[in-house]
Amino acid sequence: MNRVCIVGVGSPSGDDQAGWLTVDALLDLGIRSGDGVVIEKLDRPGSALIPLLRSTAWLIVVDAMQGEGEAGQIQRFDETGWPHYGHGLSSHGLGVIDALMLAGELGSLPPRLDLYGIEIAGTTPGSSPGRAIRAAATRLAAMISDQLASGFSIPPGTQPGYG
Amino acid sequence: MTESLRSVSIHVPVLARVEGEGALDLRIDNGEIAELRLRIFEPPRFFEKFLEGHLYSEIPDMVARICGICPVAYQATAAQALEKLFGVELDPWARDMRRVFYCGEWIQSHSLHIHLLAAPDFFGCSNAIELARIAPEEVRRGLRIQALGNELMDLFGARSVHPVGVRIGGFHAAPALSRIKEMRDKLRAALPEAEALVRWAARIPVPQDDQGFVSVAMRHPDGYAIEQGRIGVSDGARIEAEAFDDHFAEHHEPFSTALFCTYHKRPYLVGPLARLNLNHAQLPEAIKALLAETGLELPSRNLFHSLAARAVEILLALHEALRLLENYRPPDSPWVPVTPRAGVAIGCTEAPRGLLWHRYEMDDDGRVVSARIVPPTSQNQGRIEEDLRLSLLNFGLDQPDDALRLHCEKVIRNYDPCISCATHFLRMRVART
Repeated sequence: MNRVCIVGVGSPSGDDQAGWLTVDALLDLGIRSGDGVVIEKLDRPGSALIPLLRSTAWLIVVDAMQGEGEAGQIQRFDETGWPHYGHGLSSHGLGVIDALMLAGELGSLPPRLDLYGIEIAGTTPGSSPGRAIRAAATRLAAMISDQLASGFSIPPGTQPGYG
Repeated sequence: MTESLRSVSIHVPVLARVEGEGALDLRIDNGEIAELRLRIFEPPRFFEKFLEGHLYSEIPDMVARICGICPVAYQATAAQALEKLFGVELDPWARDMRRVFYCGEWIQSHSLHIHLLAAPDFFGCSNAIELARIAPEEVRRGLRIQALGNELMDLFGARSVHPVGVRIGGFHAAPALSRIKEMRDKLRAALPEAEALVRWAARIPVPQDDQGFVSVAMRHPDGYAIEQGRIGVSDGARIEAEAFDDHFAEHHEPFSTALFCTYHKRPYLVGPLARLNLNHAQLPEAIKALLAETGLELPSRNLFHSLAARAVEILLALHEALRLLENYRPPDSPWVPVTPRAGVAIGCTEAPRGLLWHRYEMDDDGRVVSARIVPPTSQNQGRIEEDLRLSLLNFGLDQPDDALRLHCEKVIRNYDPCISCATHFLRMRVART
């Protein structure tokens, strides 16, 4: 029940690879799936995100976002401040926030959840991600790696659940 | 009386949270439906054109990209068509495992639609998150079943989204017996959950509707048709896949980028309820007994029974996968060699949403000269419009605008159209005259 799960969400469309690039950068830093750590790249997982929360104490999700900031800007959200979004970023019905909200209703969220958004610009299918996105992914991976190195603790009395 | 003669225009400009883009226009003049159009305005994807010039060996992986929810259907149909043309006799192992693979897709796709897309409508919820608030155990169960379907697809496809396991002549690889044993245990454990799902789905209060419609689904003498068979019609016709164009015709409507398909110029139904209507006698005895217990009578003329039909097919798919994996032994080779030849390849299977028909013209080298794919949604499009008309008349055109809009949405979602990976319309504009 003390697993750390790191998920990079993305698609092959330009800057939408931000989450995948972050996972690549973490792998370059030597973070690997193994004892107590699961690290995965997912392509718009929808509700398939929820089973991953089983036995997870700390979930780190990195996804592309389109907000007010400049491309490459990183934002961290905790459970009290998940971003609201309109339709248009995900062509599938259940986006990452929807899946996390559904998990919340089912009492399946882990004790710690860090959601990172990397501001993106272009999402042309088949295009390469921009330089700012690559740099942001590298920065974010270093930050996550530092946090993993310093460890974490589960707040007393909170145990992750999964139905 | 005055109320029934009102004029209403309901325009839903964007079907939100959809896989694809569509809209609904409804105009009621003097108490009668003057206009009703399900508009699909997503730009054409030209997928059939992309396939031209590609080798037969590339086709299964390419067509899997057509749909993120039902890639197995596209792979299995293309493989069936090309194997028929090339005179390939599949190893019995590969034939059985294609059906198991397909069962995984039915399980995940149906469970997704029931719990995340359709069921909220019948509980007064605007989405699955709200449904989870009032029926958490049922939603958890649905997610578990969906995950199991994905796992079954992953077992044979190497991944559940756009799997890559199928090749012309069989599969690229065979799962080890140890993995199959684990899967069998999971399938067995899921049976009581799926039975509970059927009971729950059959108890959901749905609108009472009674419509006459033509059901079209594949039929096979050896069992409930999924990955092989002939096309059956509720009027008694039996049609070989090769004779599709003698009975079915696609046409273009100016307001839609998806083609409309008709059966002798009439709209028709494909999908779980059409299959169940035609093939319910071939369900395993245990499922027949469960159906009798629920009181769901077949054939049904109420399209709102589609949700229960999906639940029944989940249970069937679990039974089938278990049966076919019971004596599993890895084969000497998961595929047989293939020699391409020129000609026309035609295939037909039952995608989760209904009949899927492929036609490929191939050259001597095994490259695609031309391709044509008729997906379930284009076949159901005319039926959806017909259903909306009949269902709205039954519901009452004098109902408040919001109720009319919600009813239209329910009817459309009920078909699980492929343009709709999702549930609810984003905006509605109502104008009265």
